[in-house]
Amino acid sequence: MRPPARLRQHLPPRGRTGALVTWLTLLKLCAAHSATLVIHVQTADGHALAGAVVTARPLDGPARHAPPQHAVMDQVNRAFEPDLLVIAVGSTIQFPNSDSVSHQIYSFSPAHRFQLPLYRGEPYPPVLFEQAGVVTLGCNIHDEMLAYVLVTDAPYFGRTDADGAWSAEVAHGRYRVALWHPRLRDAGSDLERELTVNESDRAELTLRLQKPLQPAPLTGRPHSWDY
Amino acid sequence: MSRAALIVSLASFATLAGAPGARATDWEASLDVRLVNSDADHSYMNGGLGSARFDRTDSALELGRARFALTQALGETWSAHLDASVWDDKDAHPLGLTEAYLQFRPYPRDGYRLRVKAGAFYPPLSLENRASGWESPYTLSFSAINSWLATEVRTIGAEAQLDWLGSRTGHSFDLSVTGAVFGWNDQTGVVLAADGFLLTDRQTPLFGRVGRPGRAPLNGAQPFLELDGRPGAYAGVEARYLDRLVLRVLRYDNRADPAEVDSVAGVVAWHTRFTSAGLRLETESGWTLIAQGLDGDTEIAPPGFQATWPFRASFALISRRAGRHTLSARYDRFWVQVRGTDAGTQSGHAWTAAYAFDASARWRVSLEWLRVTSDSYNRADLSGTSPWATQTQVQLAVRYALGSAIR
Repeated sequence: MRPPARLRQHLPPRGRTGALVTWLTLLKLCAAHSATLVIHVQTADGHALAGAVVTARPLDGPARHAPPQHAVMDQVNRAFEPDLLVIAVGSTIQFPNSDSVSHQIYSFSPAHRFQLPLYRGEPYPPVLFEQAGVVTLGCNIHDEMLAYVLVTDAPYFGRTDADGAWSAEVAHGRYRVALWHPRLRDAGSDLERELTVNESDRAELTLRLQKPLQPAPLTGRPHSWDY
Repeated sequence: MSRAALIVSLASFATLAGAPGARATDWEASLDVRLVNSDADHSYMNGGLGSARFDRTDSALELGRARFALTQALGETWSAHLDASVWDDKDAHPLGLTEAYLQFRPYPRDGYRLRVKAGAFYPPLSLENRASGWESPYTLSFSAINSWLATEVRTIGAEAQLDWLGSRTGHSFDLSVTGAVFGWNDQTGVVLAADGFLLTDRQTPLFGRVGRPGRAPLNGAQPFLELDGRPGAYAGVEARYLDRLVLRVLRYDNRADPAEVDSVAGVVAWHTRFTSAGLRLETESGWTLIAQGLDGDTEIAPPGFQATWPFRASFALISRRAGRHTLSARYDRFWVQVRGTDAGTQSGHAWTAAYAFDASARWRVSLEWLRVTSDSYNRADLSGTSPWATQTQVQLAVRYALGSAIR
């Protein structure tokens, strides 16, 4: 059995698949009745939005969050790879530098302020993210480098696929669904919805942005250029 | 022979710098060779009034530039930068430094970051010269404005820049303010007054000279001299919208005393002030638009003589990048007038068209066509020819680069 795509993307490279499958099974056992929650995300002009971060947290019952994971954000060709990670509170991220030039990573985001002094390779231990929020990362040498880590305390989260959809198996109950994207112009609160999952085995919700996204970062410019 | 030895030792240094274990040392070396054709009588580099780098006396095959650059981290927040070049263009010394400075770059705090530079470097004016070594990735020859900066403007002093990193705090904008104090600037303006605006990619080495001594009007002018002990200053602002639009405005004043004379060296101080404003717009489809304007004047007032040269220049550049191909076109306008004991005007315009092919990260082939039409009172005064001249220069450049970041 393969975990759903939303979890697969957060699996550590060397696999804790067994633990996650167990966790999934436990989740299912705990839920007396479960259903598939499907969230569709559309841009303001009605196109499917891939890569948007969706979180769903139950409004009933005790608060819980997903188990911590270990993720990797590499630096390749003076860019973070990937440039967005969504992790559960308590997760760790390794930041190797695969470039031949040195990088100097920083975040001054309130959710986690940290610095990795000038380095190449993988000299530092993974960074622990203990507080929920958006952490914006930059390189103090190469200003064009920009990445995000969304640390969430929601038990269900993931990113929309190429069709703008994200789904999760959830127990019946009430949920607050929220949306985030690094280029979002809408206020996050404008895109939060409450939703009740009951009776049927499938619940769907479409979230449509009110404002167009900010333009995507330019690509293909030589790295040696001054920005 | 000594030049070859110098290049070999630089290459050895480069190998050492790139060796495993020498972390936080980044280096680059490049060789740019040109096939040149020009119909100009005498370039400013040859003591003439031609506005471009080459003329008909230059051989077909020329060294565009041989360059070695090094960035060495010094601890966590300091770094040293050196940019050395060989041009083989009648310089006083075979190898010159175009920039050499220390930079202090602490980590940003709460969305703000300070950057301090000390040494010799370009003021933050050009939106065109964004490639390594202060080169333009669009054309071989720089715009008239940036050719002037390359020829006789450099900050030899200290500069501080404060950035507000809005794009890191959920906004669409970044803002910066810059200020600097500097010396060795009292000859900034002499080339502009003597030759008007140029269209060149020759960067005058620090404390180097322009053209050959003993040939009017430049006589191997040395732009980077300090005569009056008065530091110059500039202040500027920059605004950015995401990574799409950059706006820069800067006010510069070298604060030279125009009455100052160094009778031993036979030079006078040039008081030069200007304002520059520029913008660069880039689109997702590979288009780049750059426009810049410059407005200022330079003055000398040694005993018994007074003259002021107001000057203005502007350009618009449009470029389209598609994969490995870059096609660019630029239109320049420039004007310098002398008012005072002497009187006259140097004005003109230039068209530049260029194509560049990036065969790989290491190889680049560029072809450029440049036509400059100008009116110079000096032509009539010094050589008795018509003040009007049109010159055309075509260059084919092949550049090979290697370095710690170039694969």
